[in-house]
Amino acid sequence: MATVTEIEAIPEIDVEDEDSLAPVWNVVIWNDPVNLMSFVTLVIRRIFGYSEAKATELMLMVHEKGKAIVWTGEQERAEFFVQQLQGHQLLASMQKV
Amino acid sequence: MELVANMDGTWSMQKLHDMEKLLLEKIREAADYSDSEKAKERIFPTPVRDDGKPDEDADAIRGDWGELVRPELASLFEDALGVVEDDLKKMKKSRAGKKGERYEISVPKAHANQWCQALNQARLVLHEKHALPEQNEMLDGEIPEGKWMAMLQSEIYGVIMEFLVTRVLWIK
Repeated sequence: MATVTEIEAIPEIDVEDEDSLAPVWNVVIWNDPVNLMSFVTLVIRRIFGYSEAKATELMLMVHEKGKAIVWTGEQERAEFFVQQLQGHQLLASMQKV
Repeated sequence: MELVANMDGTWSMQKLHDMEKLLLEKIREAADYSDSEKAKERIFPTPVRDDGKPDEDADAIRGDWGELVRPELASLFEDALGVVEDDLKKMKKSRAGKKGERYEISVPKAHANQWCQALNQARLVLHEKHALPEQNEMLDGEIPEGKWMAMLQSEIYGVIMEFLVTRVLWIK
């Protein structure tokens, strides 16, 4: 049986695509000597759904290094996460990558 | 004070002394940031820190934050204080011992988040207003009475928070 193989054109990646040019943002938690370590871990788990081990690692990074990047992505989601973190009174902000 | 996670959907503070009762009744007052710019800045931090570089996106986010997000956060924090205040009205005498009155209060576990929020806010504001030392730091010299009381308040609120986080709210 004869077969016909058609080679489809590979679509070009649109480098002008709005999404590809959108800046990426880091969500950062800063060290705060008042917030309890257990509370910070709980909030990270609750908001990002991370495992206890990952949340603890991030909390310790905040505590020891002064800050930790807890999430990276597009602006709207970053704003949402910062609002959630500040809603738990953590010292959180976002910064453009 | 004894903290107990009950099996009936509540948690309790039992055997409260007069001083502990008084400090619980002062949560709202302690959490009041309205007369301190430093406390206000801590409760409502900027969403994007200024790194000195001009950035239109950052300016827009800061503008929206002040207009839309901060009022929402303020309302959330106020609601939490209201829940705590209502719960505190249910505090009752448990027994009169030789060393004075004792009190107790049962709180629905569903209110644990609001309690954590209110206690945390009170601790943050107390630390800002009274420039309390960080954990493991010591105070030098004579401690003014207000500062001493603020430290005690922060300490007790911290104990209750730790209990709530690890025994009531912890995700298994």
